[in-house]
Amino acid sequence: MIKYIAKRLGQSILTLFIIVTIVFSLLRLMPDEGYLGAAAEKMSLEQQEVYLTNLGLRDPLLIQLKNFYIGLFQGDLGKSVTYRTDVPVLDIIQDKMMYSIVFGLGAVALSLLVGVPLGIFMAQFKGRWLDRLGTGYIVFVVAVPAMVYFLMIQMYISDWFNLPMLFDEYNPKSFILPLFCLALGPIASYAMWMRRYMVDELNKDYIKLARAKGVTERTIMFSHVMRNAFIPMAQYLPATILFTITGSIYIESLFSIPGMGGLLVDAIQRQDNNVVQGLVLVFSSLGIIGLILGDILMAIVDPRIKLGKGDSVR
Amino acid sequence: MEQEKILSIENLVIKFKLRGQTLTAIRDISLDLYKGESLAIVGESGSGKSVLVKSIMGLLDKNGYIDSGQIIFDGHDLSKFKTEADWLKVRGKKIAMVTQDPMTSLNPLKTIGKQIEESVILHQGLKGKDAYEKTLQLLRDVGIHEVERRYGQYPHEFSGGMRQRIVIAIAVACNPQILICDEPTTALDVTIQAQILQLLTNLQEKYLLTTIYITHDLGVVAKVADRIAVMYAGDIIEVGQTNEVFFNAKHPYTWALISSLPQLGIKGQELYSIKGTPPNLFKEIKGDAFAPRNQYALKIDFVERPPFFKVSDTHYARTWLLDPKAPQVSPPEVLLAFFKGEGQ
Repeated sequence: MIKYIAKRLGQSILTLFIIVTIVFSLLRLMPDEGYLGAAAEKMSLEQQEVYLTNLGLRDPLLIQLKNFYIGLFQGDLGKSVTYRTDVPVLDIIQDKMMYSIVFGLGAVALSLLVGVPLGIFMAQFKGRWLDRLGTGYIVFVVAVPAMVYFLMIQMYISDWFNLPMLFDEYNPKSFILPLFCLALGPIASYAMWMRRYMVDELNKDYIKLARAKGVTERTIMFSHVMRNAFIPMAQYLPATILFTITGSIYIESLFSIPGMGGLLVDAIQRQDNNVVQGLVLVFSSLGIIGLILGDILMAIVDPRIKLGKGDSVR
Repeated sequence: MEQEKILSIENLVIKFKLRGQTLTAIRDISLDLYKGESLAIVGESGSGKSVLVKSIMGLLDKNGYIDSGQIIFDGHDLSKFKTEADWLKVRGKKIAMVTQDPMTSLNPLKTIGKQIEESVILHQGLKGKDAYEKTLQLLRDVGIHEVERRYGQYPHEFSGGMRQRIVIAIAVACNPQILICDEPTTALDVTIQAQILQLLTNLQEKYLLTTIYITHDLGVVAKVADRIAVMYAGDIIEVGQTNEVFFNAKHPYTWALISSLPQLGIKGQELYSIKGTPPNLFKEIKGDAFAPRNQYALKIDFVERPPFFKVSDTHYARTWLLDPKAPQVSPPEVLLAFFKGEGQ
């Protein structure tokens, strides 16, 4: 197990290294304006040249890469150029991330609490009205463009329940609608997958044997089916949780939450190379960590998976 | 030898609703099971063997139902059972089942010990340490070594034969009166088959079980069964002691079945197979269901269902050939040789 984790970790660091290097190189191929910012217009070409040289951008690419990694290990992602001039990229990301984490984790918790039981009940009452209702909900959420019902929610539900339409850090009530909107999609997908895996399990032979030995339907559901159905979901769970940190562009702008959602788009539009670089690093690390955690969680809950060669039986 | 009836099926009719149509899977079957015996139900796929035993355990698929007839067991008519609570008094507790495919019959995420213990706790009223000890005892009984270590292992750590032993242990753990073995060796290697059958026979003696084997493997039947019931298209067409059915078969379908044993084939010749296909169960069957495929069929076979003709006290066959008015027909040559050669 430990050997396996170490191996996966090693692979992931290598992957991360490759991604970051590629992003670094691509950004160096972009026009130099990305490092000059608003100051570009006031500078003559010679001044620009001096400025860029001072930033180290006229060094050979390998030297630049080396400097970049040295900075990285010291926790220095460089400074923002245009987005918030001269503020360290790390600070920008940290500020915004807090909002997205709060909303993201809240939404994941909510959708797990609602979606998984919904899927379980749908499987248990397959073909009956609850199942149809749930399926209707899933189809609606997946098929109708999200902005349509997000807007409806913002306009009407806020009115009916007298909830604030926009996010306000100091008003706890204003957290409700964005959380609700964020959870709608994941609830549908958790319910859909849980139902599907439950139905899969229910049709397996071991359920027949469990019935034949006189186990009640209730016990079969709870002690045999549920856990087995949860395993395929376990693998993707950490990744989905981690990715909530990156925020939702649409919901954050709709409720004016100062989260991560729009940051990448903004940074690209404003040609703020350092922020883009930092964000890509964060996003790809999250993705990779999510995958590893998923694999590890899977190995913990499923005894059939013996990770790493050599310690399997037979 | 007068034997005590333990289970009695009378005029059972089972139907299935399928896409608006009704299929008759079991057509008016009567069958008695005697205490301590082992009965084999043989027949080709789709003949209704599995449906029959599933109905005894209340495990019919949701679209299947008992149309008429009764299943008398332990003073109750099982065909009247509707609720889960009713069935749980019988299912597992008094009638247990060994399922067909050991590779998929165990929950992959529970240790085999826990899976056996679930039965022990449910049906033997034991708890904690007692249940654990009993589970180890059962593991030993089904021929598993190093039981303490094996207790904590998962199904994927066992071979097919070992898993079938565990499935058997689960069934025996229920402490049943009747053990139903649904093709217990079909999914196993030939070398393992004999061991599993031997194990089942031993357990039958040790725990005083009455067993029903469902199989299409006549080799299995010959090894384990006291009595045979041959099924065709949802009906029992011949029933008798194993010797009688093997070596004095009366129904042309039984002849055909035995003729298709590879052992009876002659080298260089094609193996015998029954021509045609079984009847469509969605349609009402008139007369003898086997008649259209039967080279010995009489006119009346297409008109009226034959009754059970008595061959001996224990041996009955549903074929008009046994009617006193029927022409004398002798079984195929190959079979005659088989009857003579091994019948004595």
